[in-house]
Amino acid sequence: MKKLVLRVVLLSLVLLMVGSFVFAQGQKATTSDEVTIVIMPKLVGIPYFNASETGAKQAGIDLGVNVIYTGPSTADAAQQVRMIEDLIAKGVDAIAVAPNDPAALTPVLRKAKQAGILVLDWDTPADQSVVDLSVHQIDDQEYGQHIWDLLVQEMGDTGDYAVVTGGLSAANLNGWIDAGLSYAKTKYPKLNLVTDRVPTDEKQQIAYQKTLDLLKAYPSLKGVVGVSTPAPLGAAQAVQEKGVADKVAVVGTALPTDSKPYLEDGSLRVATLWDPGKLGYLTVYLAKEMLAGNKPVNGQDVPNVGKITVWADGKTVIMGPPTDFTKENAGTFSF
Amino acid sequence: MEQNTQQTVENEKKGLRKLFGKFHLETKELVLLWIFLGIFILMSIISPGRFLSVYNLQSMAYQFPEFGILALSMMVIIVTGGINLSITYSATLASILGAVVMVSMNKAGAPELASVLVGVFIIIVASLVTGAVNGLIVAHIGIVPMLATLGTMTLFEGISLNITKGGAISGFPNMFQWFGNSSIIGIPVPLFIFVLVIIATYFILQRSTFGAKVYMIGCNPTATRFSGINVKKTLFLLYVYSGLLTGLAGLVMASRYNSAKESYGYTYLLQSVSAAVLGGTDISGGFGKVFGTVISVLILQVISSGLNIFGVNRFITDVIMGMILILVLTINFINNKREEKALVTKKIVTA
Repeated sequence: MKKLVLRVVLLSLVLLMVGSFVFAQGQKATTSDEVTIVIMPKLVGIPYFNASETGAKQAGIDLGVNVIYTGPSTADAAQQVRMIEDLIAKGVDAIAVAPNDPAALTPVLRKAKQAGILVLDWDTPADQSVVDLSVHQIDDQEYGQHIWDLLVQEMGDTGDYAVVTGGLSAANLNGWIDAGLSYAKTKYPKLNLVTDRVPTDEKQQIAYQKTLDLLKAYPSLKGVVGVSTPAPLGAAQAVQEKGVADKVAVVGTALPTDSKPYLEDGSLRVATLWDPGKLGYLTVYLAKEMLAGNKPVNGQDVPNVGKITVWADGKTVIMGPPTDFTKENAGTFSF
Repeated sequence: MEQNTQQTVENEKKGLRKLFGKFHLETKELVLLWIFLGIFILMSIISPGRFLSVYNLQSMAYQFPEFGILALSMMVIIVTGGINLSITYSATLASILGAVVMVSMNKAGAPELASVLVGVFIIIVASLVTGAVNGLIVAHIGIVPMLATLGTMTLFEGISLNITKGGAISGFPNMFQWFGNSSIIGIPVPLFIFVLVIIATYFILQRSTFGAKVYMIGCNPTATRFSGINVKKTLFLLYVYSGLLTGLAGLVMASRYNSAKESYGYTYLLQSVSAAVLGGTDISGGFGKVFGTVISVLILQVISSGLNIFGVNRFITDVIMGMILILVLTINFINNKREEKALVTKKIVTA
């Protein structure tokens, strides 16, 4: 018995070593003079950021650069700071980060810059004074208004609604919601927001629970806006479970493949988003171009992405307009 | 030829048995030290020139103090058989309160040094208060620590969110960056703070009568009370100390991230339980050493940074950390069993 336990302990030690060396083999494929670009999402392991990983990796293959796609397993700014510190120690050429909190990353991004690393933000803007380039998927103002237009299209322009968001401090989510709320105030004055935006930690499970709470607390609820990709799914799940899909309209920002089942049974009316894979691709492309000394220009045609918009400041890049996903077209997308 | 290989296999087996025999004889802390050294060497081998570089060693020395301080604030409570789930939010609440005052003083044009001193003072006082709240609920009202601190965790988070409205508070005087981002003769300031915390905790817990009372409470609170020890007072003071440590961690974090926000470092909560348990602290109380927890913090840091530099997926990192935790717990378990058996045989022999 004792021997058995010892053997198990020994075996796990050996496995640990072997495992590490297997990864070492994978790493050795890259040569040291190759350009290394780090793309760091807010967290790894959610469908949205998995899709952007595929795009970023594809860009790495197409453009012949080494792409490291890594991020924390929870959306904690402290963990992102630690990982960026490690990556500076590793010595990379460019770091593109989607910050969980812009303010927290400013000191470490400044450190990266001092170490001669090109610093970009993507998906969510960082402190603009420390980034060399800011890659946006969308024009926040337009997108926020678009989401509220979809809400009104599904629930009508009168009645109670609530907003379920990924997190209270995510700058991009707040940007869209603020744009949508101020737009609704003037364009749809009869819409009534029942409570402050509800945070859900970027998790479908929490969005589901919070929406159940909302449905219970506000029986008159006619619409739910889900902002951040897991939020509309969780909201739809709650609406589906309570069997109120015909009374409560859920709209929001979600990936088509994930939202397909909810779109089909009507618990999610319409989803709208950009292609996160393209965003990952574009970020790697622009990082590589910047490293080669080429700044992006307005109207530039990026292969596999399309025409981009560059603002007058020369460092804010916008990928393009959003795509709406409905029951009819959700099956035709691969992300 | 065949015989030869067989012999080497036999020899290896003997060697391993010796190795594990040694493990069995040494204390938990030495096992940890060996594991730490092993992982450190392994990491240095698999990413040559990167892991073992001055820059990386320094960057790690900036990283682990905040976590280490939180781990100790957790460990001192686990020793009593309790748990403090509010540590991360107590740290961020204290830093947010300090930040609000510091930022408004800075905006009002107060001298930098004055606003920093006042800010730090408020962080420390606020953390003592959060600790006192926990202590009051656990020691004097008598609610189970897990439930009490679960409640205060939500309370602190709620107060923080009400102050920040979900955003981060930034705009500190530049001088405040000193606590998290500066170094004295090449040694990071956070590391200095951590070392002070280690020494203080060591003396309080392992070298004082107060500490002895704490371990007694962890073993058996009822017996401790009947031995004429003021359990309530001891527990209360210990929670206040745990709170103070979270304040220091909050100070380092706010300075390192140059901002204060309620969710900074919330992943440290369960990690600090892991570090304490990995360090040999008995989750049911009564046993635990400062040195063990500190070594575990270093182990977790080296794995995290090493695998990150190496380019391993974050989830694999979690898997490996989990495996090491189970491995160490297994070794400790086997050692304990053996010791128990040895004790039993001794008793039989003497009888």
